[in-house]
Amino acid sequence: MKPLCRPSKIVERMICIAVCAITPAISVAADAPPLHQQIDSLVSQRHAELNITPAAISSDAEFIRRVSLDLTGVIPTAQMTREFLKNTATDKRQKLIDELLASPDYALHMARVFDVMLTERRIAAGGNLYDVPAATWREYLAESFAVNKPWDQLVRELLASDGTDEKLAGAFKFYIVRDVAPHQLTRDAGRLFLGVDLQCAQCHDDPHVADYRQADYFGIYAFLERSKMHPLSPRGAQLAETAASKTTFVSVFTTKSGETSPRLPGGEMIADPPLEKEKEYLVKPEPKVRGVPTYSRRLKLAELLPRPETQGFTRNIANRLWAQLMGKGLVHPLDLHHARNPPSHPELLAALEHWLVEHHYDIKGFLREVALSDTYQRSSFMPADSPDLQEASFLVAPLRGLSAEQLRWSILQATGRIESHYARLDAQVKKTSPVPEVIPVPAWKVKTTRNESLERQTVSLMAAFTGLPGQPEAGFQPVVDQALYLRNSPKLLPILQDDPGTLLARLNQISDIQSVADELYLSVLSRQPTEYEVAEVRQLLHSAKNPTDRREPLQAVLWGLLLSSEFRLNH
Amino acid sequence: MPGRQSLTAASEISRRTWLQGTAAALGAGAIAQPLRAAAATSPRKQLLLLFLSGGASQFETWDPKPGTKTGGPFRPISTSLPGVQISELLPHTSKIMHRLTVVRSLNSNIPDHFQGHYAMQSGRVAPGYPVLGSAVAKLLERPGDVLPGYVSIRRDGPKAYTDVGDAGFLGAKYEGVRVVNNQPPENLVQPAAVKPPLAETVDRIRKSSDERFRHGRDAAPIDAYRTTFEQAQALMERREIFDLSKESAADHEQYGKHEFGQHCLLARRLLQSGVTCVKVTHFDWDAHQDNFYWHQIRCAEFDRTLVTLLDDLEQRGMLEHTLVVISGEMGRTPQINKLGGRDHWGRAWSVAMAGCGVKRGVVYGSTNDLGTEVKDKPVKLGDLFHTYLRAVGIDSSASYDIDGQTNPVADPAARPIAELLA
Repeated sequence: MKPLCRPSKIVERMICIAVCAITPAISVAADAPPLHQQIDSLVSQRHAELNITPAAISSDAEFIRRVSLDLTGVIPTAQMTREFLKNTATDKRQKLIDELLASPDYALHMARVFDVMLTERRIAAGGNLYDVPAATWREYLAESFAVNKPWDQLVRELLASDGTDEKLAGAFKFYIVRDVAPHQLTRDAGRLFLGVDLQCAQCHDDPHVADYRQADYFGIYAFLERSKMHPLSPRGAQLAETAASKTTFVSVFTTKSGETSPRLPGGEMIADPPLEKEKEYLVKPEPKVRGVPTYSRRLKLAELLPRPETQGFTRNIANRLWAQLMGKGLVHPLDLHHARNPPSHPELLAALEHWLVEHHYDIKGFLREVALSDTYQRSSFMPADSPDLQEASFLVAPLRGLSAEQLRWSILQATGRIESHYARLDAQVKKTSPVPEVIPVPAWKVKTTRNESLERQTVSLMAAFTGLPGQPEAGFQPVVDQALYLRNSPKLLPILQDDPGTLLARLNQISDIQSVADELYLSVLSRQPTEYEVAEVRQLLHSAKNPTDRREPLQAVLWGLLLSSEFRLNH
Repeated sequence: MPGRQSLTAASEISRRTWLQGTAAALGAGAIAQPLRAAAATSPRKQLLLLFLSGGASQFETWDPKPGTKTGGPFRPISTSLPGVQISELLPHTSKIMHRLTVVRSLNSNIPDHFQGHYAMQSGRVAPGYPVLGSAVAKLLERPGDVLPGYVSIRRDGPKAYTDVGDAGFLGAKYEGVRVVNNQPPENLVQPAAVKPPLAETVDRIRKSSDERFRHGRDAAPIDAYRTTFEQAQALMERREIFDLSKESAADHEQYGKHEFGQHCLLARRLLQSGVTCVKVTHFDWDAHQDNFYWHQIRCAEFDRTLVTLLDDLEQRGMLEHTLVVISGEMGRTPQINKLGGRDHWGRAWSVAMAGCGVKRGVVYGSTNDLGTEVKDKPVKLGDLFHTYLRAVGIDSSASYDIDGQTNPVADPAARPIAELLA
């Protein structure tokens, strides 16, 4: 049994809550090779031990599609792909990674990914009456990722938020979407911030996982049990907290009982400071008056949890970011780290954790390093003499389903809907006399506004492809409703028409078959067609005597390719 | 992988063997132990849940307390089971009591719609577990299945506590397909604008692209995706399974033209077509006022249709492989409130079963004279869940293995009620 992996050297330091957002420290200690090299050497070491040869490095076409999906949540345009394939510079992959990370789509994509991760598509029990509006929450996240807010700061904001600070209105989502219910919050704080699912330990010590003790569960619970929802009239909600409670628990198996003060797993119990009877509250709770205690256990949690010293805090985010690009965590499932489910590559996970602490939880810098690694850039073609696939050996790029969000934006991109929509918006702006901007609006925010109508066009698609509320979206789980939607939904049809500026309209104007096939495959599958595929297109268009006869077969090929596994998967 | 599984080597091997045949059909999840010993040729066990939403009163149904201050105005009647009486509101059912199994000693202890709906269907209080229909659909799944494993039939509204995340960690595939107001699921028909030749070309392009893409790559996700299109095709071709107009006028008459009758008729049609689990929700049992008036109306509808349904299933030879469960989210209080209603109650109430895997003509446990407490053989909601699974041939001590995470299919702190199992 392995001991839990900790970075060899934990940097002890105080982290101020108001730490400046835009200070990603890119400098690397002189003695340590860059993280992407460490990743590759640790993964290769395992390959050598297992005596297996990994897959070749991906082709440029595979790479641009994958890295665009992973860093910006959408496939590249045909034009981007064409230029990238033509480019002969040796550092073009690194340049592409940097361009993608600097684009507004990075912030928007990360906001979508972390929205799903942190809310799991829950809806507050009070619905629109109490919930933080989706747009407010997404904007909070997008801004956080646009300025590359360190992860510890982001988590601290979520945990410290009580819905009263206008500037952090979005951050209250984490609490409110769980109805400020202490048990739900306890479980999810454990799962999402520490990588441990203590659910079973709510009622008894986990019979399967010796590490998960009932006392650990109630240690976190004690931080949160005094909090509850305070509904506002006529709408909205805040968080209220009381000053007194005692946390006790009884095992349903052994009927053994316990009592605990707030405590993080593996940490010390934290006693409440002694306060005089009348000084327990800043605002005393009354009916319709939100209670504010002098000493808040919840703020204590916000202070203590997001620190390198907290067991699991760094490991969790390192593992989750790794999984975002690699399809699978080094600890998998992501919320089930314990001694009997150790990381597949303990030294690698330790190196990732170490890097994150050294670089103050620089999320963008971390993703950049992973994307630069050969390990990330492998092909999804299996090596010729591939032995029984070692699941966690990173031998070959995994096939991963696109998320509902990636699918939405990729269908819009492939069909040319995004370009044609932006072109229309730009034409409108030119017509109306442009008013000079007084305060420059950040690019991600401009794009959010521009995307609104595209989102409206694909509401039904999202409904068909999003998972169940309250469940982590793990693995590729295609269901029949989705196939029915893609085949038959009248709501999808408008996206597949040849409106001006769309892919089909462009294809209608190209007479040369090779060029038609090139444009089609570059737009939808981000690669050149094979000879066979060109022939397939030629054969379909064969009987079309004039341009209008070509509309239907072209629509059929586009539609067929959108339904293909190659499109549906990130490979 | 040194994972969390506590599997023996033998079950690990059988799991692998079993997975080879079913990985495509099953997607990400698999079952940790071989649960189905029966050959795939035997008729599949099925399950029908008749859910009395709002909470039916045990006094006016299975456990009358005549002549007491809690008993209410109705009389008990004798049944086909010597010595056993039920409420006079169920005259038809009284004649088939020898074919039913009734539990009168349930203490679910949840006097709440939301929690009760979830807990009575999932056999747990902790959130996130699959409900009975999703669980059984998953556990009885066979390779090559094309029809959905679980269909939930209901009217439109009230939505509040009726559709709570059904499949839990089993994922969207096992979420019940909802048939609301007898409308079939969406997108079963090709839009009129799409002419057959166009659709055929789309399909051909998709298939040939998949064939090329599959070459040299990990086939599992590609095949899983491809399977959903095959399932879609099958469902489109068999969409008449949702079409009640195909049922005879006599059956419509017998089941009843009212909502519940029609929903039960559709349930039988779907079970007959091969859907593993069906749930029919019967609404409006939440009688906080005029409890006795409401129960007369509700019971009249329920009583006749239930007997028609069970007779029909029996005559068609379906009952021997179909477990029928009759349960709501809670019972109703012994105390009659000042509006003539009974309120929410979980401490001592009844559920019933019939068909596959359960003994016939058993009344299990009892409550005290006033119906305020369980008197003997107390039953927990988790015990019922174990019992339902066992009745349809599932080892309720087995575990799911989803993505390396094992989770017991039923609450390990509860156990099946052996005296009820056939």
